[in-house]
Amino acid sequence: MADGMAIPKDMPRELVFEFDIYADPRIGEDVQGDYFKLLSRAPDIFWTPCNGGHWVVRRYDAISEITKDYEHFSVREMQIPRVPNPPFFIPLSLDPPANIPYRQVMMPAFSPKCVAEMEPKLREWAKRMVDEVADKGHCDFLHEIAARYPVSIFMELMGMDLARLREFRDMADEFFNAHDPEGLERAGAEIMGVLTNLMEQKKKSPGKDLVTHFLTVDVEGRKLRDDEVLAMIFILFLGGMDTVTNVTAFAYRQLAGDPTLQARLVADPALIPKFVEEALRCFAVVNSPRLVVKDTERFGVKFHAGEMVLNMLPMGGRDDRCVDDPSRFNIDRQQSTHITFSSGPHLCLGHLLARAEMRILTEEWLKRVPRFRLTPGKAHPFRIGTVCAILSLPLEWDVQPAV
Amino acid sequence: MVKITFKAQSGAAWEVEAEPGVSVMSVAVKHRVPVILGACGGSQACGTCHAYVAEPWCSTLPPRGDVEQEMLDFAFDVQPNSRLTCQVRVTPELDGVVITLPPS
Repeated sequence: MADGMAIPKDMPRELVFEFDIYADPRIGEDVQGDYFKLLSRAPDIFWTPCNGGHWVVRRYDAISEITKDYEHFSVREMQIPRVPNPPFFIPLSLDPPANIPYRQVMMPAFSPKCVAEMEPKLREWAKRMVDEVADKGHCDFLHEIAARYPVSIFMELMGMDLARLREFRDMADEFFNAHDPEGLERAGAEIMGVLTNLMEQKKKSPGKDLVTHFLTVDVEGRKLRDDEVLAMIFILFLGGMDTVTNVTAFAYRQLAGDPTLQARLVADPALIPKFVEEALRCFAVVNSPRLVVKDTERFGVKFHAGEMVLNMLPMGGRDDRCVDDPSRFNIDRQQSTHITFSSGPHLCLGHLLARAEMRILTEEWLKRVPRFRLTPGKAHPFRIGTVCAILSLPLEWDVQPAV
Repeated sequence: MVKITFKAQSGAAWEVEAEPGVSVMSVAVKHRVPVILGACGGSQACGTCHAYVAEPWCSTLPPRGDVEQEMLDFAFDVQPNSRLTCQVRVTPELDGVVITLPPS
């Protein structure tokens, strides 16, 4: 870690805590739990000298305030360390009010009404995928369910070729693994190539998909340009490929180890939304960066323009000032306090869809696989960084003889 | 202080007092009134603070803004007195107001 150590010369020593968001050796398989154990020893807001040096924020209240204060903490750049040509997403890389019209264009697909209308389709997908593994008595839950289910729904929404699911997932994975300018540019260009082809194809043969919608919709009296449409589908691609998948995998690792909870959910499926909400609290996967664009002193810390700030959303749901016994997975909490979908003008557009997907999958999964466990002796490789992931989750269960 | 009553469809009610100047959404969130989530913290980005403002208070409010209107277009059970409560400021004129929560 000696390379790239960066501590500004006037930085108070007590605010410095060494933490490598991409490869810290103290973070193991229990990613969010290990974050909590390690970072509970760090100041509420600290400066890590790793990855070019940046701030890390780990308290719910501070994250909540920073994600809303775009005047000081901008979404313009979200790469740590900073790179010369950061990827540009719409609306994610635009501060208000510029993001609003684009968000309004995307909203119809993710609104409460639309998600409710999608429910039969979500259930059909969930059933189909659970059916494919239920009689086997085992599966790699990550590859066979968690990666395929939300990603298939997403790809269908976008009008993409479902046969290329694995290839597209690998491209998103490569993007999240790249932290240097060359790697990012290469991974970004590869995705853009695929998305450009998709856009051109939709121009020739429009469908009922979201890409066609972006190509034809009126925004403040004009059509969107190609570069705008691409920047919009780029962020949906990254959000759609690798977020619900990861939270679901962490959630099912938890559930696999808790037969009592499995039995409760089977006996009373009305509890499943509480399971989903508690999983969202405990297993957030996104760490959301901001760029300081105006000097400001907040929470007793002096932020300077040009510094990067990382909001540790997984720590927000495990903040012991807001949640009692935060490391305990407990679906009976009266209120779920978390900031898993961020907050403010860039609140995750897919938060309702994500919840519906996880709920419906769990309803269908438990109907076919009411009792299951982690396959003993298997490791769960993982990735940490701005989007955390489990890369494999072998599960097994006893197959009921056919009646 | 301004008195606000939140009423759920079930009939349950929460009577709270609020300082003028803050939003009705933030009052609801602070007192853990259900249904009003305020997930985006008042940025008009989520629609999770939708509720109904009773008369005679509703007509005293400034009209819905453009973004508020668009967000309500995507909400369930919208009525003429539907508002995003993050856009409703607590003022002395609102004293006694009754806010009904939408079906969850």
